[in-house]
Amino acid sequence: MAATLTAGAPARPRKLLASRRTRVGILYALPVVVYLLVLFVYPIFSTLLLSLKDADGSFTLHWYADALTGVNLSVLFTTLRISAETAVLSLVFGFVLAQAITRLKPILAGLAMLVVVVPHFVSALVRTYGWIIMLGDKGLVNESLTSMSVPGAPFQLLYNELGVVIGTTSMMLPYTVLLLYGVMRGVDRRLLAAASSMGAGKVTIFRRIYLPLVAPGLASAGLLSFILSLGYYITPALMGGPNQTMIATLINQQVTKENQWNGAAAQGVILLVLTLAGLLLVKAVTSLGASRKKRSA
Amino acid sequence: MAEFGIAAPSVKVAGVKSATATGKALSVVALRKTYGDVVAVDEASMEIAAGEFVTFLGSSGSGKTTTLMMIAGFCEPDSGTITVGGRDVTRLAPQKRGLGFVFQQYLLFPHMTVAENVAFPLTLRGVPKDEIRRRVGETLEIAGLSGFGGRKPRELSGGQQQRVALCRALVYRPPVILMDEPLGALDKKLRDQLQVEIKTIQQELGLTVIYVTHDQEEALVMSDRIAVMRNGLIEQFDTPRELFERPRTPFVADFLGAANFLPGRIEQHDGEHTLVRLDNSGGLIKARHHDLASGTRVKVAVQPGRLRACAAGDGFCTGTVENATYVGTLVRAGIRIDGGDGPLLRLEVPAGRGPVAGERVGISADPEDVNLFPTDEKAG
Repeated sequence: MAATLTAGAPARPRKLLASRRTRVGILYALPVVVYLLVLFVYPIFSTLLLSLKDADGSFTLHWYADALTGVNLSVLFTTLRISAETAVLSLVFGFVLAQAITRLKPILAGLAMLVVVVPHFVSALVRTYGWIIMLGDKGLVNESLTSMSVPGAPFQLLYNELGVVIGTTSMMLPYTVLLLYGVMRGVDRRLLAAASSMGAGKVTIFRRIYLPLVAPGLASAGLLSFILSLGYYITPALMGGPNQTMIATLINQQVTKENQWNGAAAQGVILLVLTLAGLLLVKAVTSLGASRKKRSA
Repeated sequence: MAEFGIAAPSVKVAGVKSATATGKALSVVALRKTYGDVVAVDEASMEIAAGEFVTFLGSSGSGKTTTLMMIAGFCEPDSGTITVGGRDVTRLAPQKRGLGFVFQQYLLFPHMTVAENVAFPLTLRGVPKDEIRRRVGETLEIAGLSGFGGRKPRELSGGQQQRVALCRALVYRPPVILMDEPLGALDKKLRDQLQVEIKTIQQELGLTVIYVTHDQEEALVMSDRIAVMRNGLIEQFDTPRELFERPRTPFVADFLGAANFLPGRIEQHDGEHTLVRLDNSGGLIKARHHDLASGTRVKVAVQPGRLRACAAGDGFCTGTVENATYVGTLVRAGIRIDGGDGPLLRLEVPAGRGPVAGERVGISADPEDVNLFPTDEKAG
């Protein structure tokens, strides 16, 4: 308070700093701010700089031109396609699973959630090798199918897109189930009863009441698994073939095998931009839906 | 309001005949529901005429809500039948019964606007778009909600939300509208206002309403008939006036009229009146004629508002005013009866002529306001 009394013209900023609450607040925020600056902002900016620097240190865009042409471009498209497939499949399976869990008694639901989430604590590498054993020519799946003399068995379930998508979907499932379960639990069941009292059948209630109410959860769960898949490395690298190279694998190759940091940085920035674009897209779609509703009413 | 178009039920709900055609909107026969050993509803039977406003009144656990839920189809009865407009709906799913329901918690669809909420039951029935728009507009207007159609439920107050819920339940003209304590979540003033509004709409549109509440005043204000429920049983199903003035059980006399109970014995009948000798004061009170033998032990029930203070020595007993509380239009007094050690006799008289504490007063009552219950009956 003494500071404000002695302060002359620049009273406003001084007042702000002089407030005890503000000072304490800054003190609390400091560790996080430092942490983020050192470990988040600095690396991102140095990556950005790296991607814009030529071998001699001058400014260039040719790393981006490289990343967006030829094989690199097709890797980018493969990444987007596999991520989209993963997002859709993990949404579908996640929806069915979460829906089933919400119908269980609380104690069983807790147990089921545990079963869904616990695999997530096992290393992705271990889980991926598990899948490889399961899906191989002599794996459990193909052996069972052959013994049942299913025509065409054994199927090629590994080292192709199917293998990658099976793997990544299983990795994303805990996220989508957790997110969707939370949203579904939040839906007031009595709203569904209200709809049925007005004459709505099960299908109508699902389509016109339940689905719109869980839609925000579907959007965020789908987006999350899409974004996580974009940068996924281990599973596509181990379960895919040469045609399923994803951008993270490419970045790894450039750094570890070709010592090509600038190109890798450019691809990293592209990955980041794609992720941000995905986020903005979902935001735009949801707000568009909301504003259209408002106008139509 | 005369041109209000939805009075003619143009909505076709499969199998439901127009309720007004049969005169009997709903009947319930020997409805029973148990949860384990607890009998929630015990052999409830009643018939409700089209256009009638019926209230299930009782405290929590009385079975009123369970009965309503069974009529709505949210809860399956163990036995008994429910008939709507001549059609047996006992085992039908809620959506096949064609009834309307207003919930205490409003339960408006949060992702729809007010207009979309009200339109929802109409879209289910395949009503053409412009007719939906017209009927939604008319219904919102009746509830005083014109101009709110574009808003989301969360942008409305509790009272407005409940009005929307009411619109949503009546827009498709169901033969019976069920209401489960619809005003329970609102404050007193709003509740009073909405009671009148709901009653007015019900009368203007000739709606058949079954209403559940634990609030006696609400039931008296709104209902054509009230079913007083206790422990799963319908104690009495009658008009408010009958319930109030001619309660059939001590419970009803207590629950609706907060009656004073005085033990006594029937001394004699003098044609149109029955005379009872009171135990505590030894005084003789005159009741309207009850068909009970002389010598029968009875409980005399008189409501506080039907007692009168008179000169000491007059009336059926005399006592001392122990307390007198001024409550606006009334004075509530507690009288210690001479020779009596029971609870104070409660008296309500218009303010201004009220007794004061310490005063000696006589107590009298019109024989028409005195009810007798034989005491071998279950005590209230």
